[in-house]
Amino acid sequence: MNNRLKDRLATGMFWFGAVAVLLILFFLLAYIFLHGFKSISWHFLTSPPETIRAGGGIGPQIFNSFYLLFLTMAITTPVGIMAGIYLAEYARRNNITEAIRLSIETLTSLPSIVIGLFGLLIFVNKTGWGYSLMAGALAISVINLPFMVRISEEAIRDVSDEMREASLALGASHWQTIWRIVLPSALPGLITGGIIAAGRVFGEAAALLYTAGMSSPALNFQNLDITSSTSPLSPFRPAETLAVHIWKVNSEGLIPDVRQVADGASAFLVLTVLVFNITARWAGRYIHRRLTSSQ
Amino acid sequence: MVSRNVYDKAIKEIQNGILRMGGLVEQAVNNSVQALLKADTAAASRVIAGDDLIDQLFSETEDKCVKLVATQQPMAKDLRIIMTGIKILVNLERMADYTVDIARATMELSVYPVNVKPFEYIQKMAFFVQRMVKDGLDAYVHGDIEKAGAMCRMDDEVDKLFSEAFKELIERMKVDPDVVAQYAYSLFVGRYLERIADHATNIGEEVIYIATGERKELN
Amino acid sequence: MSKVKVFAKDLNLYYKDFHALKNANLDIQANKITALIGPSGCGKSTFLRTLNRMNDLIEGVRVEGAVCLDGQDIYDPKIDVVNLRKRVGMVFQKPNPFPMSVYDNVAYGPRIHGIKKKQQLDEIVELSLHSAALLDEVKDRLYKSALGLSGGQQQRLCIARLLAVEPEVVLMDEPSSALDPISTLKIEELIQVLKQEYTIVIVTHNMQQAARVSDLTAFFLMGELVEYGVTTDIFTNPNDKRTEDYITGRFG
Repeated sequence: MNNRLKDRLATGMFWFGAVAVLLILFFLLAYIFLHGFKSISWHFLTSPPETIRAGGGIGPQIFNSFYLLFLTMAITTPVGIMAGIYLAEYARRNNITEAIRLSIETLTSLPSIVIGLFGLLIFVNKTGWGYSLMAGALAISVINLPFMVRISEEAIRDVSDEMREASLALGASHWQTIWRIVLPSALPGLITGGIIAAGRVFGEAAALLYTAGMSSPALNFQNLDITSSTSPLSPFRPAETLAVHIWKVNSEGLIPDVRQVADGASAFLVLTVLVFNITARWAGRYIHRRLTSSQ
Repeated sequence: MVSRNVYDKAIKEIQNGILRMGGLVEQAVNNSVQALLKADTAAASRVIAGDDLIDQLFSETEDKCVKLVATQQPMAKDLRIIMTGIKILVNLERMADYTVDIARATMELSVYPVNVKPFEYIQKMAFFVQRMVKDGLDAYVHGDIEKAGAMCRMDDEVDKLFSEAFKELIERMKVDPDVVAQYAYSLFVGRYLERIADHATNIGEEVIYIATGERKELN
Repeated sequence: MSKVKVFAKDLNLYYKDFHALKNANLDIQANKITALIGPSGCGKSTFLRTLNRMNDLIEGVRVEGAVCLDGQDIYDPKIDVVNLRKRVGMVFQKPNPFPMSVYDNVAYGPRIHGIKKKQQLDEIVELSLHSAALLDEVKDRLYKSALGLSGGQQQRLCIARLLAVEPEVVLMDEPSSALDPISTLKIEELIQVLKQEYTIVIVTHNMQQAARVSDLTAFFLMGELVEYGVTTDIFTNPNDKRTEDYITGRFG
């Protein structure tokens, strides 16, 4: 076999791999959307679910997913980035740092149901909050933080030392250098981390079953008092997210239109994640461009 | 175009040094010949004393050339200016030495009564030699190849005058032994002037080399 | 003899077990250009970086002896390193403009040092770019990314950025080694102009460059300062055999 032939064969295999991935993705999306879009209607997206009758919607679940996203990101992003900054900029290379890193690695490989049960013990029972959005947000933060820390650390480390030296040599303090030079340069990486973390909030079910709960109390969207359990803004009420809802109707749903509800909710979930990712990337690129004046 | 201010300034400084030295040599040629013709020993000793300044200027300017080569890496025309600059300096320094020799001869000749015959030749030769030194420096300043060429042709006149003087004075020495010493010194002076003219010709050749990069033998 | 701006006294630097600088004693004169030359790894860059304590950023570096700026030891624990680096600025080997606009690059230093007024910043930016002989080339694109400039322009921008914080001493670590010959000459010309207001120390692996631009030259070899003197003397008649071997290219 000559080299030319080998080269062609190798190229062909890579093509095959790429095409296979694309095809699988395409069929998956097509399947979900084809089945799901039939059930999606304005009514479906805004009404609460039914318990035993057909024709229920997923309105509160959509809201819960987004609210949980907001709460989780509000915890994950600052803590994750701060830890990333610490590891990349301040931590000396010693045993303690290595121990921190090892813990983070271990945390990333914990099954999410374990974290869910851990959340049930600590965030639900110990705190006395019961099933609540806050407990769910904290549980997902436990899953997301290791990712966020690692990705922030890498993004910050990727900023070249030349930039840091240039800033320090101008008489900037370490903190000024991080705030004005390192973080803006690391922004694209940080945004990627954020998107991955956000995607998990939409997709996670196992960790939420026993933390945010599988029910949604009747919500009164006119009630903006965040301490009231019927207010949608209260972080201390049980809240079923879209992903949990899909799991629940599929496994124990009593409604006759289980299939339609599950299909519609899935399609909407996938669509949301897609739109969210594209928007976040676009916004990130816009901010980065503004910060760096690049055209 | 990028300017090299420090470098350009240093080249200018070297050129100015050469010109200053040239001016002093030109003056020394005039003064030594005038002292000889007037049998003015005081003026002659001033020429001898003045050589120190020329020597000092010579070593200073040569030093600057060496430093410029060591630090600025001159190339092409700049390199020619510096390398020929050093050669022009050497030529000028030799010319100055000959003016000292003329001044010394003036001292020796001052004990004899003035004799017109050899002085006629010396005066004629000196006329051309002074023109040559002056034109040589002008040509260097302005990079004037025409002038350098014309100046070099004057060297032929000087050579011709010297060989005429040589023949005639030898003939006279044969018939009149009393003038031998005096005429011999005069012939030395003629020889010195002829050598100065040769060095001036060398300068002319260097000027042409700086401008064109070509070597041309002119005498 | 002009005024001594910075001097190193019995300066030793260790990188872990490696003795990188051995008993360096060097007087750097105000408003002069001092070149540090020597083969790779001879300690010239290390020495340069001791002058604004950039070596502090490297783990495992230990410094003994003193470096005095205007008579004050900069390794004194009471010294504010941030303030020191404001007085002793640095230009690096590779042009390293920040990924922001030309204007923001130059305004970076003044801003971190507390200047907020737009008008004042405008003036500083214009003056600094002018001093770095860059204003004419960038005045139409002040608000565009600095990364779009050529390498030589980027390096002059880095110099402008440094001048904007009004340092007293400018350290240059092979400032033109990444540039083409024309840009190199522009930087060299600029350095000549800058010495009227600043004390300049330049590390270069290009001996001809040291010869061209500097007033004084120090030759380092294996962490040792071998010879230090007036540049023309070093390059025409060095005292030490090792200096002679190095500058005549008969070495290593």
